[in-house]
Amino acid sequence: MLPDLSALGSQFLVGLSRAMILFIVTSGLSFVLGVLRVPNVAHGSLYMIGAFSAFSISKLLGGGAMGFWLALILSPFVVALVSLASERLLFCHLYQREHLMLLLFTFALMLILGDLVKLTWGAEYRSIMAPDFFEGSVSIFGLSIPRYNLFLLILGPLVAIALWLFTNKTKIGKIARAAAVDREMVGAVGINVSWVFAFAFVLGCFLGGLGGALVAPTVSITLGMDHDIIIEAFLIVTIGGLGNMWGAMVGSLIFGLTQSFGVLFWPQFAIVFPYTAVVIVLLWRPRGMLKSVW
Amino acid sequence: MWMLQVENVYKSFGDFKAVNGANLSVNKADLVAVIGPNGAGKTTLFNLITGQLKPDRGSVIFNDENITALPAYQICRKGIGRSFQIANIFPRLTVFRNVQVSVLSQQRKSWKLFYPADKLAGEETESILKNVGLSDKARHIAGSLAYGDQRALEIAIALGNEPELLILDEPTAGMSAEETAATMALIKRLAHSRGLTILFCEHDMEVVFNVAQSIMVLHQGLTIMQGKPDDVRNSNQVQECYLGGAEPC
Amino acid sequence: MKSRFKSFAPYGVIWVVLLFLPPVIPRFYTYILTAIFVTALLAMSLNMVVGHGGMFQFHHAAFYGVGAYTFSLILTKTSLPFWVGFAAGPVVAAIVGLLIGWFCVRLTRLYFGMLQISLGSLIWAIAFRWYSLTGGDDGIHGVPVPDVISSSISAYYFILILLTICLMIMYAVLRSPFGMTLQAIRDNPERCEAVGINVRRHQLLGIVIATFFAGVAGVLFVVLEQSVFPDLLFWVLSLEIFIMCLLGGWFTFAGPIMGAAIMVSLRTFVGIYTEYWTLILGIILILLIFFLPEGVWGYVLEKFGSRPYGRVERKDVDASGGERI
Repeated sequence: MLPDLSALGSQFLVGLSRAMILFIVTSGLSFVLGVLRVPNVAHGSLYMIGAFSAFSISKLLGGGAMGFWLALILSPFVVALVSLASERLLFCHLYQREHLMLLLFTFALMLILGDLVKLTWGAEYRSIMAPDFFEGSVSIFGLSIPRYNLFLLILGPLVAIALWLFTNKTKIGKIARAAAVDREMVGAVGINVSWVFAFAFVLGCFLGGLGGALVAPTVSITLGMDHDIIIEAFLIVTIGGLGNMWGAMVGSLIFGLTQSFGVLFWPQFAIVFPYTAVVIVLLWRPRGMLKSVW
Repeated sequence: MWMLQVENVYKSFGDFKAVNGANLSVNKADLVAVIGPNGAGKTTLFNLITGQLKPDRGSVIFNDENITALPAYQICRKGIGRSFQIANIFPRLTVFRNVQVSVLSQQRKSWKLFYPADKLAGEETESILKNVGLSDKARHIAGSLAYGDQRALEIAIALGNEPELLILDEPTAGMSAEETAATMALIKRLAHSRGLTILFCEHDMEVVFNVAQSIMVLHQGLTIMQGKPDDVRNSNQVQECYLGGAEPC
Repeated sequence: MKSRFKSFAPYGVIWVVLLFLPPVIPRFYTYILTAIFVTALLAMSLNMVVGHGGMFQFHHAAFYGVGAYTFSLILTKTSLPFWVGFAAGPVVAAIVGLLIGWFCVRLTRLYFGMLQISLGSLIWAIAFRWYSLTGGDDGIHGVPVPDVISSSISAYYFILILLTICLMIMYAVLRSPFGMTLQAIRDNPERCEAVGINVRRHQLLGIVIATFFAGVAGVLFVVLEQSVFPDLLFWVLSLEIFIMCLLGGWFTFAGPIMGAAIMVSLRTFVGIYTEYWTLILGIILILLIFFLPEGVWGYVLEKFGSRPYGRVERKDVDASGGERI
C-alpha cells in the first residue's frame, strides 16, 4: 500500500496545483466576504458559469489553442457581467438589511443561476480539451507533473501577487480594504460605498469565473459543480480566516494537499481527508489559521 | 468584615490601562458610590467584579470567598446582582417575562421542561414589578418602553436574583432631574425594604453626596481614596483631581 | 383559559379535517400530505434552535440523516425489532447533536455555523463513500418497515399521530421555564449570564432536544419512503429547511409548518409542469426577502390575528410574552 517516493512527490505537486485553482476561486469568495461581510453562496454558481462559458467560447472558436486561450480570458468577464447584473438589479437594494437576509439572497441567486445554466446548456456533461501545448508531462526535480498542472502552479502565485498588489497598492484596492473594516467611515469621507461593494462583488465573482475556466480542461463540466465547489470554498475560507487572502491560500493548500494524499492512500475515502483536516483545524483554531479581516 | 473587597485589580486592553490599581471595600447594608470622570474605568471595574471580564492582576473577594476567576453566571449565583449602563434587557419579551426569567433562574427552575412557565414565579415577579413601579406595564413588550422605564426594568431584572449586593452602573444616566430623584428614592427604598447592599457609580455629584454612605474616587483606573462623603468632599487630592474647578481632570 | 382554547380552535379543526381526508382523496395527495408532515417536523425542530434559541444551526440536516440512516441500518443489517430501530434513530441523532453541539456552543454565531457545516459535511462524506455500509450514493432501499404502517394510508396516520405528539411536546417545552430561558438567551445572552444562567449548557440542551426531533423526522422519512439517501445529509437540504423557517416565520410557533407545506407543495406541483423548480423557488425566495421578511405566517398573524404579533414596536400583548402560535 505504501507508494514510492516519486509517486508521493508527483501527487504532492498535483495537489499543489489543485490547491492553486482552489485558491483562485476562494480568494474571490474571501474578498467578497471581507468587504461585504456576506458569504456568497452563489459563488459556486459563478464558478460553474465560468466553466460552461469556457466550453462554449472554445467551441465557438473551433476548439483549438486559440479558442482555449480566448475562452480563458473571456469567460471571467462573462461571469463578471452576470454578477454585475445581479448586484445592480437586486443585491444592492439589500445592503441595509441584516446579514442573514443577504446570505439567503445569495442562496436564492444560486438556485436561479443553477437553473439558468441548465436552461442554457442542458443537463449533459460537457468537456473541453486543453490545447496540444499542454499534452504530456514535464519533469521537475525528477518528479513528473502534467504540463497543465505546472501551468496552474505558476498561475496561482501570480494571481496571488496581482491581488495583493491590487488591494495594497492601488487606490480602489485600498478603498475596498477600508470599506471591509469600517464602511461608515468610508461613506463619511464621501465615497459611494454602494459602488465599492459592487466593485468588490464583481471582482470576487470574476475570480470565481476564472477558477471555473481554469478547471474546465481537467474535469467534466456538469450541473452540480456549483454545489461541490461552494462547500469546499466555504470551509477553506473558514479555516483560512474570514476575508483574509493569504488565509485563502493556506486553506487551499491544506485542502488540496490532503485531498491529493487521500487519493494516494485511500482512494475510496479520499474526500474524507480534507474534511477531517478542516474539522481538526477548526477545533484547534475556531477562528481560522490567520486573522480574519474583521 | 467586608462584604465585598476588591484588592489591587488591574486590567489592560492592549496598551490602554483601563483599571490600574483599583481598591474598593463595601460593608454589608452600605450604600457605596464610585465616582470618577468619563473613562475613569468605572464600568470596567464593575465588569471585573461581576465576571464579564477577568482582571490581569488582583482579586475580588465576596463574603470571604475569592470570586475572581469565576464565570459571570456563577458570580451572580453567589448573590451579586448587576444592572448595566446601557439598558440591557430582553427586547422581544414582555416586561413581565423579562423579570420572570431572572426569578426563575434564581429559583433554579430554568431547566424545567414540561411545566408551563406561566404558573411559576408569578408572585415574586409581580412583587418586584410593583417595587419598581412597572406593574401597569407588565404586559408591554420591553423593547417598546420609554427610556426611564427601561432603566427601571434593568433594576427589576437584577432584583429577580434576590441579590445580597446590588451593583448599579450609572442608574440615572440620561435622566431628567425628576427621574433621577425618583430613581434614587427607589434605590434607597429597595435598600431598606430588601436589606440590600448597594454599590453604584454615578456622574451626578448631588445624587452621590445625598445618598452614599461611602464614596470611592476612581481616576484613570486608580483608586484615589475611599471614605465618607465629607472626607471626600474635603480631600485636597480629590478636589484637585475631580471636584475642584470647572473641569474634571 | 378560554382565550387559549380559542387560539387552538382553528388548529383543532384542521387536525380533524386531516383525520378524515385519506379515504376521500387520491393516494397521491395522501403521499404529499405525509411528506409535508415529515418535513414540517424537521423544520419545527430547526426552528427550536434558530428561531427560539438564536443559534446558527447551519447543518441541521446532518441529524435528520443520522436518524434516518441509524433506523435503516438497524432494520437492514441487524435482526433487532422495529421499535429498537425506531427508538435508536432519534437517540443517536441526539447523541451526535450533543457531540457536535458541545464543540459548536463554544463559538459565536458564524463560527458556530461553519464548524457545524464542516462536521456535518464530514458525516455526509463518510456516508457517501462507505459503499459497503451505507450503499454510498445509491443509499439503502427496501428498508423492511412493518406492514402495519407501510401502506400509504397507515403511514399517513402513523406519521400524523407522531407529528402531533412531537408538536405537543415542543409546545410544552417552549412554554416551560427552559423554553423561556432559551428565548431570553436568544435575545441577550450576556444579560442571561448576568442573571445566573449557564448559557452554554442551556443552548446545548436546546440542541439536543432539537436534534432528537430531527432524528424522529428522519425515521419517519424512512417509514414513508422505505429508503434513505445521502441527500438527507447534504448541506443543500439544511439550507432548504432554513428557507422553510424563513418562509413560514422564524418567531412564530407554527410558521415552519406552513413553510414546509408551501415548499413541498410547490416542489411537487411546480415540478409537474417544469423541471426548473429551483428557479421558481429562487424567485419566490427573492420576493419573500424583499416583501415579506417576517415570513408568510408572520404576515398573516399580523394582518388577521386576533392578538397582535409580538414585535418590538407594539405595546399591548397578552401574558404569553409575545410568543405567537
